[in-house]
Amino acid sequence: MIELKNIEKYYANKGVKSYILRHVSTSIKQGEFVSIMGPSGAGKSTLLNILGMLEEPTYGAYEFMGEDVVSLNERKRIELYRNHIGFVFQAYHLIDEMTVAENIEAPLLYKKVSSAERKSRVADVLDRFNMVAKKDLFPNQLSGGQQQLVGIARALVAQPSIILADEPTGNLQSPQALQIMELFKKLNEEENITIIQVTHSEVNAAYGSRILHLLDGVIKEDLSLQQVI
Amino acid sequence: MFRLNLKIALRNLWKNKGYTLINVGGLAIGLASCMLLLLYVAHEWSYNRQFSNYDKTYVVFNNTKTPNEILSWPWTPPAMAKEVGQQIAGVSRASCSTNPAPLLIANGEKSFRKQAVFADQEFLKILDYKFLKGNPEKALQAVNGIILTESTAKSLFGNEDPINKTLKLENSQLLKVEAVIADLPETNSIQFDYLMPWAAYEKQFPWFKDAGWGSHFVLTLVQLEDNSFFNQVSAEMKGIFKRHEKGSLAEAIIHPFSKWHLYSRFENGKSVGGRIDQVKIFVGIAFCILLIACVNFMNLSTARSQKRAKEVGVRKAIGSSRKSLINQFLVESVLLSFIAMLLAFVLMEITLPYFNRLLHIELVLDYGNWKFWTVLCSLTLFTGFIAGSYPAFYLSSFEPVKVLKGFNLVGTSSVSIRKVLVVAQFVFAVCLIICTIIVYQQLNYVKNKSIGYEKAGLIEIPLQGNLGKKGGLGNKESMNVLKDELIKSGVVSSVTYFSSGMNWDGHRTFDMNWPGKSKKELVYFNYRCAGLDFVKTIGGKLSLGREFSPKHHDSLNVMVNESAIKVMGLKDPIGKVISMGKDQVTIIGVIKDIVVGSPYQQAAPMVIFDWTVNLNFALVRLNPGGNISSAVQKIDEVTKRLNPDFPVERNFVDDEFKLKFQNEQLLGTLANWFGGFAVFISCLGLLGLTLYMAEQRKKEISIRKVLGAGAMDVLSLLNKDFMKLVGIANLIGFPLAYIIMTRWLSAYEFRVGISIWPFATAMGLSLLIAILTLSIQSAKVLKSNPVDGLKYE
Repeated sequence: MIELKNIEKYYANKGVKSYILRHVSTSIKQGEFVSIMGPSGAGKSTLLNILGMLEEPTYGAYEFMGEDVVSLNERKRIELYRNHIGFVFQAYHLIDEMTVAENIEAPLLYKKVSSAERKSRVADVLDRFNMVAKKDLFPNQLSGGQQQLVGIARALVAQPSIILADEPTGNLQSPQALQIMELFKKLNEEENITIIQVTHSEVNAAYGSRILHLLDGVIKEDLSLQQVI
Repeated sequence: MFRLNLKIALRNLWKNKGYTLINVGGLAIGLASCMLLLLYVAHEWSYNRQFSNYDKTYVVFNNTKTPNEILSWPWTPPAMAKEVGQQIAGVSRASCSTNPAPLLIANGEKSFRKQAVFADQEFLKILDYKFLKGNPEKALQAVNGIILTESTAKSLFGNEDPINKTLKLENSQLLKVEAVIADLPETNSIQFDYLMPWAAYEKQFPWFKDAGWGSHFVLTLVQLEDNSFFNQVSAEMKGIFKRHEKGSLAEAIIHPFSKWHLYSRFENGKSVGGRIDQVKIFVGIAFCILLIACVNFMNLSTARSQKRAKEVGVRKAIGSSRKSLINQFLVESVLLSFIAMLLAFVLMEITLPYFNRLLHIELVLDYGNWKFWTVLCSLTLFTGFIAGSYPAFYLSSFEPVKVLKGFNLVGTSSVSIRKVLVVAQFVFAVCLIICTIIVYQQLNYVKNKSIGYEKAGLIEIPLQGNLGKKGGLGNKESMNVLKDELIKSGVVSSVTYFSSGMNWDGHRTFDMNWPGKSKKELVYFNYRCAGLDFVKTIGGKLSLGREFSPKHHDSLNVMVNESAIKVMGLKDPIGKVISMGKDQVTIIGVIKDIVVGSPYQQAAPMVIFDWTVNLNFALVRLNPGGNISSAVQKIDEVTKRLNPDFPVERNFVDDEFKLKFQNEQLLGTLANWFGGFAVFISCLGLLGLTLYMAEQRKKEISIRKVLGAGAMDVLSLLNKDFMKLVGIANLIGFPLAYIIMTRWLSAYEFRVGISIWPFATAMGLSLLIAILTLSIQSAKVLKSNPVDGLKYE
């Protein structure tokens, strides 16, 4: 599903190139649950952003579902990730002016889904996440864990084939964090959604099926958890 | 999508009430000012357009060449209309009518002096007035017909049906009411209260029948079959005077009827503007104020960009395209401008009566008019779009990765654009302040300039009926009776007579000759006639000789003013013989120039005769120090007793004099008010911007305070930049205002010099206002606890 070849990313500052990513090549298949780990500054988030098409690599090839992302124009790229990619952020990034239901509905609006279907899908997701009672609240009326649930619900509602999560539990206390990870695992197993998360926590990484260790922009280790076990 | 955007926009506005208030307030004031000025402009624009064929109607102007210039006015010979209507191809109609003049009209006891116009039948066909009663086809046919306007009919007849009733004109002619027309709208260049047939004019003033192509006092209107004939007709008209009178210096041109009001100034025989200049200024001010309000909006929205950045990032990350973000922001600003428009309505309805009083017009918000709504809606959309465009494009350009990472948005480009916008606002405000001050200085200068006589406490009484025009001519005995009675009443110190009102221009002639005049020289002289004690009564000054006196027989003597002496170049004028036409007269006195025409121009040469027949006004000097209202009452009693058939009429000369400043006064007042608004809106913007700046620099300020910065340090830190901007705005505004005002002043012969004061005042004022605005916010920052600012993150 995802094919990265020799991805490089650097910032040139006064002629000195500071590398974020170097020679990153990997492939991720449909249905995998990948955790990207590594110390701060290792390039985890940058890699995730490149995967999510929010950033462009300086060099290298990136194929997403058989399409060469680097050469796509912006309209096509937006089209591609509207349909296939869902984001979950560490700081939730819900829109403060929108209610829970509206936040969840927003991606569907951009996908131009019809009004009736939007309603049913939002209702469906709310139901699944047990948030029907909270649908008219605003984000600041929710706890962090609940906000992150909304964030995940928002990512899911567009029925993506892949969810990219940047430290999804970074701002949460551990019981809530576990709840979120359980949810990811369930989505991965039951709905075959590919999940790529960036995390610092070994515990969280253990929920996945594969771990990519990054150090100074280079993949040091690529572990399959089945192997570990 | 749209609905959601609208909902979110509303929530956003509600959440940031302070900003919304500043934005809506600024936009509302901007929109209201703009609408009011546009309403006024529409009023000016609508002049003479209420007739069905106004676009094919033209006024015949008379261009008379003098060696120095071409003089243009709409007065033509009485024979012009017939000639043009019958001889020139392409002209469908031509009418003649008189200059509106007040004449006495009476229904039995009820008598009024009202504006009368004599006109031929074609006049009614060119200008299709709305007939309420009577037959427009037959009106003005009979010699003794009269058409009344509705309100004239009402004041003469009350609720009775006026048709076929008899009225008496000037206590002599009997007239029969033929028709009643609707009152003329204000926006009509030809204003009258009743209309009489041309034949009645010939009957009332028999002398005019002999008037040839040399006497110009009739208004000729021409209607073309089609505007394509314009060039052809113009060409034919050009030589019409010369064809009828050899050696005539006049040429006729046709000027569109609809432009008569706005484009009435002629230079070298060509229309070069007029009121339109002022209208243009107002349109300019209107849009500038609106722009200032828009700039406010732009400033505040981009200033708040940090708050909106996250939203933009998230929206982009979940699949929004830039276009839909732009749409969202535009929806927000249009919504805001609609709210502002609602508020603007309230403001307009509140201020309109005041505005009307200021301008002496009757503007109303015409809610039934689709044009009004079209303008309104397009103005609102325009405002929303202009105000929202820059923020929309700016905000939607954020890259999601950067803003979601918590990247600190201190986009240098946006800061500099905001600075440019603030400077632009203040440039305009400063310009308006300077211009307002100079307009007022000019007004005061001219108002306080000596006009050659004492206008305060001087009253004019028209001589009508028994007061001196017995039998239609000046009657010395009755004039003396009036004078004696007035002086006997004890409230009057002296009385004299004059041939016209003190503030009337006109009565001019080229036909003055003096020893040493070269043949080619053509000088326009004012000629007047005055009674005894003229100089004494008006409070003028004799610089040489004497004034008319009962001890002498003065009918062959004249007084001249100083300008006349200068023009004639006479070294020792007293006793010199000059002539007007065939009349040889001797100069016995020279008076200081008195202003009768424009107070902005050098007084024209003037000759004053002692011809009783031509005296039309009594000039009465009130006893100084007396109670004015009781004095006026006594004077009224005297005139009523002497002249019971006529309504009492008198004017204060200084009231009439004030009317000459109407245009400049209007400009000054409007510039003052709207300049004030502009400054106010600019300050709102500045307030918003400091609010934002202080918030953004909260952390920095807190750190500085922890490190020991005092109040003054923080204040100067926050305000230095803004003061610099206001200073720069002043520097840009100065030359701009200087150029504008130099141009404006150049139209006046008497003008105030541009001093440094208006500039210094504008500088001081703008800085002071800016400091005050900034201090409000800065004080808040100063009082805050630095710990609060550091707690975040």
